[in-house]
Amino acid sequence: MTLSQIWLLYRSISQNQRLHARRHPMFEKNLVMKILSYIFIAFWAVYLIAIGVSLYQAFEGTALEAFDWVDGGMVWFLIIDFLTRFAMQETPAQNIKQYKLLNIPTGFLLHTFLLRMGLQPYNLFWTFFFIPFGLLAVPQFYGITGFVGFIIGWWLMFVLNSYWYLFWRTLINRQFFIFLIPLALYAIVAYWGIFYDEANPWLFNGTALLMRGFCQWNPISWLIVAVLIVPLYMVNHRLQKTAIYVEIAKTEVVRQVKTRNMTFLDRFGVIGEYLKLEIKSTMRNLVVRKQFLTGTLCMLMLCGLFSFTDVYDGMPFMRIFICVYCFTCLGVMTLTTILCAEGNYIDGLMVRKETVLALLKAKYYFQCLMLLVPLGFSLMPIIEEKITWMTALGCLLFASGAVFPFLFQLAVYNDSTIHLNEKLTKAGRDTKVQMMMSAAALFLPMFVMYALVECFNDQVAAISMITIGLIGTVLHPLWLRNIYKRFMKRRYQNMDGFRNSR
Amino acid sequence: MNLTIEKLTKSFGEKIALDIDHYAIHTGELIGLVGNNGAGKTTLFRIILDLLHADSGCVTIDGMVDGQPVSCDTSKSESWKAYTGAFVDAGFLIDYLTPEEYFRFLAKISGISDSVLHHRLLQFDGFMNGEVLGQKTLIRNLSMGNKQKVGIIGAMLHYPQLLLLDEPFNFLDPTSQLAMKYLLETYSKEQRATIIVSSHNLTHTLDICSRITLLEHGQIIKDYDKDYALLTSEIEAYFKGVTLENNKDV
Repeated sequence: MTLSQIWLLYRSISQNQRLHARRHPMFEKNLVMKILSYIFIAFWAVYLIAIGVSLYQAFEGTALEAFDWVDGGMVWFLIIDFLTRFAMQETPAQNIKQYKLLNIPTGFLLHTFLLRMGLQPYNLFWTFFFIPFGLLAVPQFYGITGFVGFIIGWWLMFVLNSYWYLFWRTLINRQFFIFLIPLALYAIVAYWGIFYDEANPWLFNGTALLMRGFCQWNPISWLIVAVLIVPLYMVNHRLQKTAIYVEIAKTEVVRQVKTRNMTFLDRFGVIGEYLKLEIKSTMRNLVVRKQFLTGTLCMLMLCGLFSFTDVYDGMPFMRIFICVYCFTCLGVMTLTTILCAEGNYIDGLMVRKETVLALLKAKYYFQCLMLLVPLGFSLMPIIEEKITWMTALGCLLFASGAVFPFLFQLAVYNDSTIHLNEKLTKAGRDTKVQMMMSAAALFLPMFVMYALVECFNDQVAAISMITIGLIGTVLHPLWLRNIYKRFMKRRYQNMDGFRNSR
Repeated sequence: MNLTIEKLTKSFGEKIALDIDHYAIHTGELIGLVGNNGAGKTTLFRIILDLLHADSGCVTIDGMVDGQPVSCDTSKSESWKAYTGAFVDAGFLIDYLTPEEYFRFLAKISGISDSVLHHRLLQFDGFMNGEVLGQKTLIRNLSMGNKQKVGIIGAMLHYPQLLLLDEPFNFLDPTSQLAMKYLLETYSKEQRATIIVSSHNLTHTLDICSRITLLEHGQIIKDYDKDYALLTSEIEAYFKGVTLENNKDV
């Protein structure tokens, strides 16, 4: 291949990768999500700048120079960077599949993706911290060239870390428990290098010395990093070459499934059939199962904290927060994407009469049934007299009669299918309305209850919540039918959205 | 069941996907809907089934159900769903169920008892060819052909008086295609049901259908009654003509 061909291919692949991210159906659709992600980046950028400035001030005038402290603590930066990459960085083997049959050498493709990985903007994210810190700390000793060396040196360390992460991530993709190895390695190195011999922490001293070398443009520092990066790059190149075939040959493990009739639900007629569907969906679909497990775990954790510890005893708002959150978190986590799972087979449901209404009813009863779990857990704080039984009942009924009706409104507006068996990050993202509704469903009840407790007392607050909740719960056939009617009015728009996002 | 389409139009942006002034299908007819890709077959199915909003016009279904006259506009009422069965694509399948669970679910929501379901499934035994039931596999893990079979059986399970199948011969092996043909012919005769089948497989469509409707760019350009010799030669001539025309452009 000529140089111009290489450049053309590199540019084309880079362009495709950018479009891949930009043209994700949900990302294109969701302006708020885009704005929020920019705000998120800006927030962290400002936060890192502030930390950079304040760390310099904190270390100024100590026994070591400020940059020595930061350079010596390199391992902590690398650990945090390593962990954050799990949410950000994909392996090249996952992206190379679509190019595999084209007339492009695989080796070239791998070099392109690995090079792009080294040059990705994320490796520059920490410069928000190092530029202000370096500007304050380095030039007074090593001049502006020293500062440039300092920044490039740190950037190279994050490039090194990205290849280090890639190596482990590829292995983790094959066997999940391998993630324990890098974590153990980091822990051993940090302990042995910093805490084991506090009088002479070799890792601290070594990394500080390495970075001083960058500031002085000492060839040994550059050589050390090159000696680490180049072999790691080559190892990754080799590893990815085999990983491509693993990725291409990857098939879902088909396990034998036992047909479950759940006959005990037959007595509830059509609703019972949809309850079975709800239970099977939770058991057999990765995304739904994860949503459900995360919600249940949150619920159990908070119930446990509240029941068995005195962490929140002196904090009235936290007491209300946890009490309300225990009863609502599972609903918030699973109902914000209500009907999104059904988007996969919505056509089949819609050619049958009132199936969506029966489905909504089944979902409501399922959620109400799940409220018995936090109720059971709240018996402990009731016995310990941290809350009254009326408060627990108030939270339960408020969830079933006010929070759930509120969240069920999303059934009218949700129109994006979640991919049932994908990883959660690929399944689909929350939209503007979903985010607003879930935040409101979590915090409004807390503020209502807190206001009632502050204005009156616990008992009045509990009675008010029981009353509101009871009305909403008893009237559920009415508001569910109303939701169904509104859903039917928007059905073409929703079905179109579900089909387009499948 | 009679199905009547009046002044139906549907556009996607500038492109007219469907423009049918009048089209009537009568009880007991087995209609073959043929046309090239993008002719509007699936769009027509989706509008009939109220899965897509028409820009104008209406689709009416009327006939006798249990001795009672019924009539409704499919976009304004849901009553037609009780006597209509359809399979368009995998978007109709609840793929995290096993075929047995799926059929049982459909039976329950259609008011069919377990014993009746068992009896009805026996009638599809030949079509399933031992590859669908008893596999202990979720629908999503079945082959495309077997998914297609599950969808078609699911659509026919409650003995609908109006049956719509979009490309039913797709993904099926030759044996299953023949079984499918036999199934449709038998069902049409025994149930006196109205059946609409869209297909690219001209041979099978011409073999079983009593009437063939040819769609092009969303319009019905020919509507042939059964006269096998004439019908076959005319339709084949049409598609040959289209092919020649396209090749000329190339």
